[in-house]
Amino acid sequence: MTKTRDDVTEAVRDALIDALGVEQDEVTAAATLMGDLEAESIDLLDILFRLERSLGIKITAAQLAEHVQGGISEEEFGTEEGVVSDVGLAQLATVMPQLDVESLRGKLPAEEVMQLFTVDNLVDLVLVRSAAVAA
Amino acid sequence: MTGTETLDVRVGVDLVQVSRVRRLLVEQPAAQAELFTPRELAACGTKRSRFARLAARFAAKEAVLKAFGTGLGPRMRWHDVEIVNEPYGRPRVLLHGERVRSLAQRMTGSPEISMSHTGDVALAHAVIVMRPASPWQPQPTDRESHALSPD
Repeated sequence: MTKTRDDVTEAVRDALIDALGVEQDEVTAAATLMGDLEAESIDLLDILFRLERSLGIKITAAQLAEHVQGGISEEEFGTEEGVVSDVGLAQLATVMPQLDVESLRGKLPAEEVMQLFTVDNLVDLVLVRSAAVAA
Repeated sequence: MTGTETLDVRVGVDLVQVSRVRRLLVEQPAAQAELFTPRELAACGTKRSRFARLAARFAAKEAVLKAFGTGLGPRMRWHDVEIVNEPYGRPRVLLHGERVRSLAQRMTGSPEISMSHTGDVALAHAVIVMRPASPWQPQPTDRESHALSPD
């Protein structure tokens, strides 16, 4: 069964609180996982496993990266200088709609993309995966 | 190799809390099989130091991926970077999977790693050497690609 946004938001909030030991009021929709909430890669794994257990939706670390990159090859996503290309920014605008893409044009290091991934972006990802599983 | 050729040396380092890895593996038992291959799990034994050794291997995987300039990206699995031990204990990296093997195309030899742990800290350091990305560079020979496993 496809999960509602409220179901997923609650599960994501619980997973973040349990995995990161953060306070409930820190887990806002706009909080970035690796920036504001200081999650590390092992924490992301923990969060994804907790969501699998609470929602029954399996999301791997690679699927998270794939969701952000949108099937675009690394060569196309980033320039030789290591910044996100215009093609990459167009993709990011779809999965991270809070970004002001124009202000990031030619300036966003590819390695910093995940630093901008928010709680709300994670909710969106879970909903996408939930719909894919239900289809 | 000519005397004028400049090699591209890349390093990656990762530090992880043993207690954090232990908590993940105890609270999320499925994480063991997702992060580590059966060989890695077997190599870490069942003694008190098991979680420290697993933490060091997790750090080693991260360090190798950092040396390649990427994290765990699309179409990659944690098993794609496997840490095995030679008979006298020297750690060796085996690379699996299409994406990681593609990243390693210009690599000479295999990634070198060193791992250590003490108390609640596990650390790994990786070094890889790449050929310059010039169109006239020869493709790697079979012998030079020995670090790539055949899967």
